[in-house]
Amino acid sequence: MYLELAKRNLERTKVRSALAVVGIVIGVMAIASIGIFGESLKASVLENFKDLANEVIVTPAYSKGYTEIDKNDITKLKKTSYAECVIPVKVDQLIVSYKKSKLYNTIYGMDEKDVERLFDVKDGSIKLKGSCVIGYKIAKDKNLRIGYKIRIGDKEFRIAGILKDAGQRFDINPDFAIFLSTKDFEKISDKGYKMVIVKVGNLENVNLLKEFIDKSINARKQKVNVFELKIIIDRINDVFSKINTFLMAIAAVSLLVAGVSILNIMLMSTIERTKEIGIMRAIGAYRQTILKIFLLEALILGVVGSSIGSILSILGGYVIDMLVLGSAKYVLAPSTALYVAEGFFVGITTAVLSGLYPAWKASKFEPIEALRYE
Amino acid sequence: MIKLVDVVKVYKTQFYEVYALNGVNIEIKKGEFVAIMGPSGSGKSTLLNMIGCLDKPTKGEVIIDGIETSKLNDKQLTELRRDKIGFIFQQYNLIPTLTALENVELPMIFKGIRKEDRESRAKKLLKLVRIEEVADRKPMELSGGQQQRVAIARALANNPSILLCDEPTGNLDTKSGEAVMKIIKELNEKENVTVVLVTHDLSLSKYADRTIKIRDGVVDVS
Repeated sequence: MYLELAKRNLERTKVRSALAVVGIVIGVMAIASIGIFGESLKASVLENFKDLANEVIVTPAYSKGYTEIDKNDITKLKKTSYAECVIPVKVDQLIVSYKKSKLYNTIYGMDEKDVERLFDVKDGSIKLKGSCVIGYKIAKDKNLRIGYKIRIGDKEFRIAGILKDAGQRFDINPDFAIFLSTKDFEKISDKGYKMVIVKVGNLENVNLLKEFIDKSINARKQKVNVFELKIIIDRINDVFSKINTFLMAIAAVSLLVAGVSILNIMLMSTIERTKEIGIMRAIGAYRQTILKIFLLEALILGVVGSSIGSILSILGGYVIDMLVLGSAKYVLAPSTALYVAEGFFVGITTAVLSGLYPAWKASKFEPIEALRYE
Repeated sequence: MIKLVDVVKVYKTQFYEVYALNGVNIEIKKGEFVAIMGPSGSGKSTLLNMIGCLDKPTKGEVIIDGIETSKLNDKQLTELRRDKIGFIFQQYNLIPTLTALENVELPMIFKGIRKEDRESRAKKLLKLVRIEEVADRKPMELSGGQQQRVAIARALANNPSILLCDEPTGNLDTKSGEAVMKIIKELNEKENVTVVLVTHDLSLSKYADRTIKIRDGVVDVS
């Protein structure tokens, strides 16, 4: 019955109540839409790194005087159960010449199957026996095609494949790279293994692998450094969460304004209904009963406004995602539900908190004074 | 039984004090119909508010059914008003958003009575004051006489032993006023409800067993 009474009180001043609801709708929509967008932005950035999270890069401990990774250590890595696949990489900077042009370029010596595992080919195929595979950008810059012969060091190699545009990575920069088989690499360079890329089965194994390296390879001296890409992903996550919180805090200002408007209309309402409060107190309503009725009114405004705002926020998130990211595929992610729920509850809390003071004030009226009020 | 012992009520303003009641001693027996009469500003409404526990005396004691009301806290005073006292105001004072039936139910809602019980009692009371046909209407859709009858039904909701009426016919035409007074008198005679009626309409004193005259905050015994 109190709920019904609260509802009818709000219906008495329809326009005023509707405006208060609109305020909450806007506030909730702003918070939740921005939350959804922020999460989409993060998801789209992280998607580029998703393959890297389970990657660990092992490099020689240059600061301790090591410039290469020992073959025995690579064998040790291959034997652990934490590593799903171990990719040793030889690297050197060599002069590459094609017709009259010459350049100094990074050459990688890797197993054919490892190149296949890490990269996709755009033209040709990944065949490294006596031939090479080159990155997208070097091919474009130097106008290199499949079947062309280039000279690396003092040997000639036929271009068997050109990789797809892959973008920057943390381990190898494939766009400007030239890949040779380990055997061919050894014919033109005496450089050893400069890097080992280790893929772990699941993320929990990253720490176990690090422990293993510390205990075996680095047991006596620190021979290698371990760089886990999970850290970068954690950082990105962290930074985006902070940005998102900041954006949502800005959006929350609109909810604050809505809260002030509820405070305002409810204060007006307590004054207009002073006499009614007096009547109710006279015929047996406790102070808490009056408090309850007014808080219910605030709650109704909050629930109605937040419900509409929550639904519209999904639409808002969709529109912002389409405008900024050009895709709305992240809108229906589980995190969206979280932001909608967050907007919903923050909306209701704002409404109820705003109603608290007017409700308290109404409950404090002395019955006789309230009855005399005209 | 209602007993007022040396009741003083002082209203203080910034510059002076007004003695609305200045040492009032009254005793009203159970089932009695008492009219309190006096010119406006004499303190009769203040007196009624004291009996109704809506206001507290500055000095003195108001005793209702043996309970010293000065010793009660706000919650207990609310319960006393709810359970023992029914109010009838000149302005009817119905809640505009509620129907006649719901207005009658309201004191029972405050008491926590179950929906079915309070609905059937509210209907019975509306029948008692002979307006059951307007149960679903809101106060705005009722005449003054009808509104006052709803107010009487509401006053009776929790079966009070005391009915306090502040100029109940003040806003009504003669015919409606008489009908309302007849209902009040009937309640007094049949249900043995104590009635305290505040009025400056001399013609209403005929319904009362006794008239207490009040002037300048004191009982006029002349």
